[in-house]
Amino acid sequence: MHEEPDNDTRTTSESMVESTKPVVSLDRVETSRSFLHILTEPIVTRVLLLSVTIVFMTLFLLFPLASVFYEALADGVKAFSQALSNKDTLNACKMTLIATGIATPLNVVFGLIASWCIGKFQFWGKGFLVSLIDIPFAISPIIAGLLFVFLFGAGTSLGKWLLGHHIKILYATPSIVMATVFVTFPFVVRELIPVMESQGDEEEQAARVLGASGWQIFWRVTLPNIKWALLYGIILCNARAIGEFGAAVVVSRNSVKTNTLPLHINALYQSYGDGSAPFAVATLLAAIAIVTLIIKTILELKIRSTQTKD
Amino acid sequence: MGIEVRNISKSFGNFKALNNVNIEINSGELVALLGPSGSGKTTLLRIISGLEKADETGGTVLFDGQSVDKRKVSERGVGFVFQHYALFRHMTVYDNIAFGLTVKPRSSRPSKEQIRSEVNALLHMIQLDSYADRYPSQLSGGQRQRVALARALAVKPKALLLDEPFGALDAKVRVELRAWLRRLHDEIHLTSVFVTHDQDEALELADRVAVMNRGQIEQIGTPDEVFHHPQTPFVMNFLGQVNQFRGRMESGRVWIGQYGGQPSEESTPQGRSTSSSIVSSSSDRISATIYVRPHDFDITRTPQTGKLSLPATVTKVRSAGNVVHIDMVTDTGEALMAEITHQERAALGMEPGDQFYMTPRNLRIFSDKEEDSEASQVASR
Repeated sequence: MHEEPDNDTRTTSESMVESTKPVVSLDRVETSRSFLHILTEPIVTRVLLLSVTIVFMTLFLLFPLASVFYEALADGVKAFSQALSNKDTLNACKMTLIATGIATPLNVVFGLIASWCIGKFQFWGKGFLVSLIDIPFAISPIIAGLLFVFLFGAGTSLGKWLLGHHIKILYATPSIVMATVFVTFPFVVRELIPVMESQGDEEEQAARVLGASGWQIFWRVTLPNIKWALLYGIILCNARAIGEFGAAVVVSRNSVKTNTLPLHINALYQSYGDGSAPFAVATLLAAIAIVTLIIKTILELKIRSTQTKD
Repeated sequence: MGIEVRNISKSFGNFKALNNVNIEINSGELVALLGPSGSGKTTLLRIISGLEKADETGGTVLFDGQSVDKRKVSERGVGFVFQHYALFRHMTVYDNIAFGLTVKPRSSRPSKEQIRSEVNALLHMIQLDSYADRYPSQLSGGQRQRVALARALAVKPKALLLDEPFGALDAKVRVELRAWLRRLHDEIHLTSVFVTHDQDEALELADRVAVMNRGQIEQIGTPDEVFHHPQTPFVMNFLGQVNQFRGRMESGRVWIGQYGGQPSEESTPQGRSTSSSIVSSSSDRISATIYVRPHDFDITRTPQTGKLSLPATVTKVRSAGNVVHIDMVTDTGEALMAEITHQERAALGMEPGDQFYMTPRNLRIFSDKEEDSEASQVASR
């Protein structure tokens, strides 16, 4: 009877020593504890934390954003509208519309096909395909741009052949479009894969037994089920296509003819410095960003409500 | 519509889901495919529907005597009810039921009014008239199941195939829906095949039950036949509870350990060769497995002469229920379950620790040789 409690304490202290050894598990315990801590914190602390967040966001996000609009109007409304209606600005808008207008639909089609294959079928090399899709996320846009320079450059045989046939790809619209497609490639498919996977293909099978054709199944069963996720992917893809700078700057060489909006802003900034013109054009992108955010928030709510319904 | 499956096999990689299966389903019949998971029952159902393709081993599926192997799912004219209903989640109940009619090619598509009246009739049949505008997520499991059934029936299929139709429902709803489905079948007499792992469901609902195991049909027959006259050890084991004893046949007697006796007249099953052939044919020793249902024991305080009477001690009496369940242990250390009525228990004065002699009224013997090889089992039939 004497020894039993002794034994007990020894074993517990031993196990405690052992449990401190694995660093990972200890970390996890710590974080979960501090998390619980926050939740049970008194109101004062919560208000304090909230104000720190708000101050931080104001300083680093809202303030700079507001300053864009402020600077844009610094030289008056006339200068602002002149900067926007400038020939080069309009051309940059056109280039951005072309690049986005091609990249987004192309990625929607590809995203639907790829996510359908990946989400609904099992096949060899699936994991490899999924990692391939992520390449544009993983590499720097500059490298993406350089890839096209290496592929179509005058030094390569493909480049020479294109030159011989007077087909201009590099430093022209086609390469801008290609670079944009490359960079925005994963957005739609990445959004769709989890939805397709979680929904399985029972509804499609049911439709098939009921006599629906392939197109009818796609339009009436599959598409309605993924529409919110698809729109979400389109919004993200669109925003990225409009804002793309790194890859585009390499393949456009920053010439006035092939500048997209971000490149045009950069060019204006390089030549006018702190003048209002670059900021005026930047308001366009800022406005698009705000609209994108609003749509994105609405879509997230929609997606969440359809998920909780199931 | 009559359905016939001939020599169908199906493998998934190395796994043989179906091994040369044959089954005939008569027009208007309600047949259950009963078996444990992995026995191939769902695969068989999916092959009949056309959702799955059988291996090219010369097997064929016939509807009313005509091969449908070349026909696509949509051309086979069957209704399929999925285990998890697979309702179209973004469509209302009404649109779900109408779907099969609205996807028909324009030439054979009924008019909007016709569709409306047919869907309304189906809604009435499944007792969900006021639910037309609801979405599947707003329905209970039982209601979803009925909508799935109505959706399948809307295209007027010639056969209805149901995959675990009540699998995802709670016990009470399951029993209600079962009775409802049986009534429905009696009204419309549509050839129906349903898959289940629940023996009560199969025995209560079906005209005939096909018991499946490891990709083969072990036995097909009326619920009475498969329950009372199981042809294989698997069927014996799968349907209802059963006591299993290692034993032997020797000089016309059944032996369990040192206890032996003449198999009583009732214990030789009618029309079946399994036990009688072993009993009559051999004077030599054949090891066998002996099966006795818990309710098939005569329980006495003293051994019955000339009969197989096993001494066993009561370990637990569970009397909450329609019958009294008794857990016992034989003197060779094997567990034994028995079921008696409350009156019998009162008459015997049964309490834990008491010893009794258990005499099987009805037993089934399968020689171990047969259990080992499928071939000899087929030969012995």
